[in-house]
Amino acid sequence: MTSTTIVAQYVRRTTLAQRHPKVLMGSLGALAVVLSFYSLSVGATEVSMGDVFNALVGDTTDQAARIVLDFQLPRVLLCWLVGIALAVSGGVMQGVIRNPLAAPDVIGVTKGAGFAGMLLLLAIPGLPVFAVVPAAFAGGLGAAALVYLFAYRRGATPVRIALVGIAVSAAFEAGIRFLLVRNPLDVSAALIWLTGSLFGRSMSSVLEILPWVLVLVPLIVIWSRKLDVLGLGDDLAAGLGEPVEKTRRMLLLFAVALAASAVAVSGTIGFIGLIAPHMARRVFGGRHLASIPAAGLFGVLLMLFADMLGRGLAPPLEIPTGLVTAVIGGPYFLYLLVKTGK
Amino acid sequence: MSLSAGTLPRPAESGDGEHRRPRIVTSKQRVTWVTAALLLVLVAGIVWSLSIGSQHIPLTRLPGAIFKPDETDELIVHSIRLPRVVLALCVGAALAVAGALMQAVAANPLAAPEIMGVNAGAVLVVVLAVTIVPSLSGAPTILLAFGGAAAAGISVMLLAGSGRGRVSPVRLALAGVTASSLLISLTQVLIIFDENSTDSVLFWLVGGVNYAGWHDIRILLPWLVFGLLGSFALARSLNLLALGDDMARGLGQNVERTRIFGSALVIVLCGAAVSVAGPVAFIGLIVPHILRRLVGSSYTVLLPLCSIGGGVLILYADVVSRYVRPPYEVPAGVVTALIGAPIFVYLARRQKVTS
Repeated sequence: MTSTTIVAQYVRRTTLAQRHPKVLMGSLGALAVVLSFYSLSVGATEVSMGDVFNALVGDTTDQAARIVLDFQLPRVLLCWLVGIALAVSGGVMQGVIRNPLAAPDVIGVTKGAGFAGMLLLLAIPGLPVFAVVPAAFAGGLGAAALVYLFAYRRGATPVRIALVGIAVSAAFEAGIRFLLVRNPLDVSAALIWLTGSLFGRSMSSVLEILPWVLVLVPLIVIWSRKLDVLGLGDDLAAGLGEPVEKTRRMLLLFAVALAASAVAVSGTIGFIGLIAPHMARRVFGGRHLASIPAAGLFGVLLMLFADMLGRGLAPPLEIPTGLVTAVIGGPYFLYLLVKTGK
Repeated sequence: MSLSAGTLPRPAESGDGEHRRPRIVTSKQRVTWVTAALLLVLVAGIVWSLSIGSQHIPLTRLPGAIFKPDETDELIVHSIRLPRVVLALCVGAALAVAGALMQAVAANPLAAPEIMGVNAGAVLVVVLAVTIVPSLSGAPTILLAFGGAAAAGISVMLLAGSGRGRVSPVRLALAGVTASSLLISLTQVLIIFDENSTDSVLFWLVGGVNYAGWHDIRILLPWLVFGLLGSFALARSLNLLALGDDMARGLGQNVERTRIFGSALVIVLCGAAVSVAGPVAFIGLIVPHILRRLVGSSYTVLLPLCSIGGGVLILYADVVSRYVRPPYEVPAGVVTALIGAPIFVYLARRQKVTS
């Protein structure tokens, strides 16, 4: 990947988004909301739209309302939060590293966070789950640092980061599997850590990830100018008065924290952080003020879609969300790879 | 290709400097030493593997147990532990030789069955077949595994190679790993539909020899023998291929034919191994690399040694895996993945691969 193709990617815009970015963004948001309502009604037990509405406005007595509020609502909220966290994290990483292949799962953050989170849970069994977030954060940060360290050799090229990231991910995944066989959990818990799943999550999980998203995402959007400046290259950015290294480190820290909080509640869900920012850039162009929020929305849409597919394909069986995102995201990544080679 | 010490530009005993340049040929003496050491380790591993487990069996009773099993202990050895050892050796040989073949055919140090999606493709097809027809086993499964391995491997080559003439190692690895993760995800979806036990999930995800029986070996053996002999026969052509396509052609090689034969052998070896033992990780990547460091990269020497080295690695991984969670048996693939992943990191880091 040469710098010209990256610049070209940043400059390209489709005309509709150029003329009416707000309209398009609004309709994406509306679509996500509609999809969320629909998602509240599908699952092992079908609930009618009317019941969903009743449950949400306050009639919480009957059984349908309990299902909606206790089981479906946390899931849908988690889809939003995890989707936003992963997609924004990926968008920031792609901007900061100036690497279209960067994403929390590609550079090892998700597997590292998953490994650390699982290690802590197994080491101290009675631990409240909110303590997993700092552990996952440390693991994610450690993995990212390892990848950068190993990939750095007179600069870290995009492909080398991607390849070393895959290798480091493989190491952490081996670690996760080792922990799984050493301390057998039940199947659903195992699958959560192997592939990522929103099964059986409650409101407490929502509350664990919520503060991270509420604080970090607005901060990143406010800093989106800095991302644009970093995208111009280190020399030019420094010339424009940006403390390049400091900004880059802060932004990466935010991105890792977002991804780690997502992993802590949902396990290692792959490909969202990779493909949502790409979709956003294709539609809204390379300005981060538009593309970061758009990436968040695409992340939400992808998560809702994957979660509904996982629940609705063969009820009462649940296919973990992470598997569905891998099946959707894998081909997209291969397509990107083929395209960047030309 | 001569292996005598006289043809060496730089003798093997020249100290630290020898590691800087990959050697094509190595002194016969060194090869003999490495072979002897491998065999010694192999024998020790076999004895260790036969004697440990939830029932400890003293060394003195092993010969009787192998040749004339009478008592319970001896039957344990004969019908549970011995097939396990034999299968570990067979699967290791198949995967390691397949890895070396792929590295030669693709001219790519990162090529290996688990990285190129070949193992994942074979697993997906086998799991799919077993889901649809639960009674399926034996020969048809292996044939299906060949199909899956071939389809996955060829797709990855095409994907990575589209757009440019020469496939760069890193693009091949990226395409292969992504395709693998896609295939593995699909496999997991199937497993969730079919069964709900962590054991079966782990078996098809990481592979192992802990459920080995004699009939697995009977299924695998003809394909293994065919694959290994074919590879050894191809070794000299692979040596010429390593000189580069133009040079090989100039020396009268039919480069395309060598590649096609080599790929077909990879598919036979991987498909057969995976369909009985699951995708045991990283054998095909690390065994050829370690041995290349020890004996140089002449395939006439490397391939036979790989067939021993791969077996040794899985055998020891299987022994270690029994200490992980006694008295339960853990798939050996968990251990090979733990050993292999850091070596993968090391290989991915090298300049040659990513420049």
